[in-house]
Amino acid sequence: MEFFLEISLNSIGFLVGIIIGTISYIGFKNTASPTLFRLSIAFFAIGIGFGILAVGFILDDMIFETGDINTGISMLGITSQVVGYWFIAFSHTIKTFFPKSRYFRSIGALPLFLVSFGYVETILRAVSFILLVYGAIETMISYAQGRKKTTLFVAIGLGLLGFGEFIGWYSFVFPETILYVVSIVIKISGLISVGIPVSKIPLRKISFDENL
Amino acid sequence: MAGNRTQIKIVGEILDTTMQEIDEQEGATVTHIIKNANISHGRLSRILSNLVSQGLLEQVNTNRSCRYKISPSGREFLSAYKTFREFSDDFGLNI
Repeated sequence: MEFFLEISLNSIGFLVGIIIGTISYIGFKNTASPTLFRLSIAFFAIGIGFGILAVGFILDDMIFETGDINTGISMLGITSQVVGYWFIAFSHTIKTFFPKSRYFRSIGALPLFLVSFGYVETILRAVSFILLVYGAIETMISYAQGRKKTTLFVAIGLGLLGFGEFIGWYSFVFPETILYVVSIVIKISGLISVGIPVSKIPLRKISFDENL
Repeated sequence: MAGNRTQIKIVGEILDTTMQEIDEQEGATVTHIIKNANISHGRLSRILSNLVSQGLLEQVNTNRSCRYKISPSGREFLSAYKTFREFSDDFGLNI
């Protein structure tokens, strides 16, 4: 039952992440905006991270039958999510700290490699938590300036993703509890909240223009 | 904190200016675009020639002045720009 829940919830996370990533990528193709490019990488990475975890649980359920997801697969999925969260935080960093510097924008990928070479799952979760809290705070500040409801949903969503990571980290301390499932439910709620702006995009009016 | 406008934001404002003018007359003058988009003449000239070469703007030469009007591709781009500007704003980011 727990495996079924984990597979279902991670699959939803995969779908939501890929949908937001695709919308962002369509935006990037139409406008050539670096911000939308970073957002597309972020949500593709988050979606793929959830997808990897779902595949890990399916493989264990059907083939390995050890009763727990393979550590390597789990690490890969979480790392992918950390990369996604990093790109969201990095986009806010550019807006806040480096609005004029093309140099800092160009070397933006460098800290990615410094961050993602951690091999311990708990460290990855801690990094995710920090990045998400930072992203949530920055988005909340943007909401305070613009008062857009959808921005508030994104800020709450990032906050829920961070809280889900925190609960997920706690599930290592208490492995036999439902904390892991709770953390996924919170994270999926966060992803759906983050995905609310997507519902406003008029998909049929958007087309790729190869000349732009 | 208000940072510098990005290139795409400036392009969006230029296209928006030419779009606003389309009902009243055949395109916008350079002076009008400078005023509305708040951009220097030197920088505007480079951007305008770029937009014309990409087919987003059409140059209309009249007896007295050179005007710019938005093309169908430009309208599509402006529509997509506005949509995704909102999308970026929702994430607390600048497009």
